[in-house]
Amino acid sequence: MASVASKLYSDDVSLLVLLLDTNPFFWSSTSIKFSQFLSHVFAFLNAVLGLNQLNQVVVIATGYSSCDYIYDSSSTSNHGSLESSRIGLPALFGSLIEKLEDFITKDEELIKEEEVEDRIASSLLSGSLSMALCYIQRVFRSGNIHPQPRILCLQGSPDGPEQYVAVMNSIFSAQRLMVPIDSCYIGAQNSAFLQQASYITGGVHHTPKQLDGLFQYLTTIFATDLHSRSFVQLPKPVGVDFRASCFCHKKTIDMGYICSVCLSIFCAHHKKCSTCGSVFGQSKLDDASPVSNKKRKAPET
Amino acid sequence: MPQVKIIAKNFMDMVASLPAIKLDKLYNNVFICEAILRSLPPLAKKYVLQMLYTDVPVPGTMMEEWVLADGVSKHRVAIDRLIQLRIFSEMVDRKNQTSYSLNPTFQNNLRKHIISGGVLPREPMNSDNAIKLPSLLELETYALRQWECFLLQLINPSQGEKLAGISPSMMRIFQRGLLSQRDKDGPRLTESGFQFLLMDTNAQLWYIIREYISNAEERDVDPADLISFLLELSFHVTGEAYNLNTLTEVQKNTLKDLADLGLVKLQQGRKDSWFIPTKLATNLSVSLTDSSVRKEGYVVMETNFRMYAYSTSKLQCEILRLFARIEYQLPNLIAAAITKESLYNAFDNGITSDQIITFLQQNSHPRCADRIPSIPENVTDQIRLWEADLKRIEMTQAHFYDEFPSKDVFEAACDFAREWRGLLWEDSKRMRLVVKSEIHNQMREFLHSQSK
Repeated sequence: MASVASKLYSDDVSLLVLLLDTNPFFWSSTSIKFSQFLSHVFAFLNAVLGLNQLNQVVVIATGYSSCDYIYDSSSTSNHGSLESSRIGLPALFGSLIEKLEDFITKDEELIKEEEVEDRIASSLLSGSLSMALCYIQRVFRSGNIHPQPRILCLQGSPDGPEQYVAVMNSIFSAQRLMVPIDSCYIGAQNSAFLQQASYITGGVHHTPKQLDGLFQYLTTIFATDLHSRSFVQLPKPVGVDFRASCFCHKKTIDMGYICSVCLSIFCAHHKKCSTCGSVFGQSKLDDASPVSNKKRKAPET
Repeated sequence: MPQVKIIAKNFMDMVASLPAIKLDKLYNNVFICEAILRSLPPLAKKYVLQMLYTDVPVPGTMMEEWVLADGVSKHRVAIDRLIQLRIFSEMVDRKNQTSYSLNPTFQNNLRKHIISGGVLPREPMNSDNAIKLPSLLELETYALRQWECFLLQLINPSQGEKLAGISPSMMRIFQRGLLSQRDKDGPRLTESGFQFLLMDTNAQLWYIIREYISNAEERDVDPADLISFLLELSFHVTGEAYNLNTLTEVQKNTLKDLADLGLVKLQQGRKDSWFIPTKLATNLSVSLTDSSVRKEGYVVMETNFRMYAYSTSKLQCEILRLFARIEYQLPNLIAAAITKESLYNAFDNGITSDQIITFLQQNSHPRCADRIPSIPENVTDQIRLWEADLKRIEMTQAHFYDEFPSKDVFEAACDFAREWRGLLWEDSKRMRLVVKSEIHNQMREFLHSQSK
């Protein structure tokens, strides 16, 4: 029998933290409508909750410039107002939709306030990942027996290279906490962040081919609890994009300069490291062959 | 797990044993579909979910590819369970290929559930019409007190306050198997009775509910109806009030019994009355594997075999008395010691060392539960050693032969017994031997043929 001291439920009880991409720039450009997408996601959440009475679901919305908790199945006040149930929405997710609407309007206002720089229309993945980890950390520290946590990113918008450091830090803390990050990328390009996140934390990364069958993808792959994963066939990573972003211009690079003290990455040669302040000497070798200083970022294994 | 002789079997085994027609009828209820889905092994749940929107039968060979090589046994278990519960129907086509499809009623109901979300079985009453709802904590203490009271009465009918609803005849049904009735010294706990007491609350609850259902027919209640009502009950929200008027007459009577077990709390208002499900009720549909109502432990075990139990409960004192010597009792503390005598007493009653150790581990005080091991090793070792002491002698039924006519016959008999692996002892000087009684008949025939 399982050790009694363990604070985990013995069986397949899971805590699923879902990061929902609500980036308006992305949703305005896709083949599948946001509402259709939501209906798939709701069915999936219902399925996860239905699988086990102790299963818990937390939804975090990832917007363009903000993120927020919008649903927590463990809190009691989930039943939406009568109004939403009259329209025929799923009763349990009434409050989710209300909160989601609030969130999107707020996020939109924030976008209007910013609107100066022309950055890539990425979502605030680093923010929502950190929030998810905070939530999980709180569950861990609550002291009671708790379900097995995992994170699922439902992401469509492209990576924001400026978030590189924050995202990587979240990934490594997830790795330390032994929380797998699953990722389902529904956008057009490939997301190096999510590939790396799933690869490093031992989660599953998948890019569905047909979005109208999203529910089937979600249930087949991502509804699998951690207990069952050891004996179920799941998609294997085909290849992982390990490219990093430089710290100076936040560009994705595949060759660059690395500070030998703090391992910060730069796309061009600097006199001084902007992170730790180490002064880079101009080695004599440098004059002879400039290439030797140009260290290639070692591929992570 | 220790070998528990009365295994509080999973509820779903009972469901699975229902006749096919009744089972199919059960699936008309969305909540039962949901509860059954939850009770399945993890892999089976996954299959159901995966095939939820597949309308054509899925070939068995294809399903085998869904699992990795070391999951094949789990795969078989999952499929067997699904067929047993008639969720999957098996079809064999002309090429001898097996394929599976979901039970259409079950599939439809589950689809509906997944799309529309968890609808509640009945609407809770509005809280504004002068209902004072107990807080969740109050409700939990109520449930546990009620349950303890029931248990106390179960094991010791002369003690404890009488419960209103459960008739003595019903009580006797529950006691069947747990208590042995002897005229002289009153009822005594049987071996399974002792084991019952050491199980956790959820397992005990299941045992009782199972007995309750299996004798439903004697009370003119359809077991299928009762099962469906119990499962429906488990989907109510803990701590909300539900109007009694929404129930049928049979259900109302059932509720009265359940109130005695602490599953629901009945309350009466000026106009109508209502029931409030407690945590015990809402945990009914949870499978037995995860003991979700794990209470906080209370036992501190020391390396000098002394045991301190922070408890005021009479029941817990009685349980400890099963295997320990109670030394004194303070208002909130029971001091006891585990001694050789007290343990021999327990072993006599059919409790095993593993059960005692598991019980101590499961109920150890949070301060101790964090330690590894939570029970000092010298104590667990000693408990096991004392048990092993009792098992030094093994009894085997045997037959004794002597007065053989000649040495040859004796040796032939010995060889024959050896061949049948039944020879236990031989004394060639005085020509005597002992063989297991299983081969006594063969031995006799053999000796007859020898003497001719």
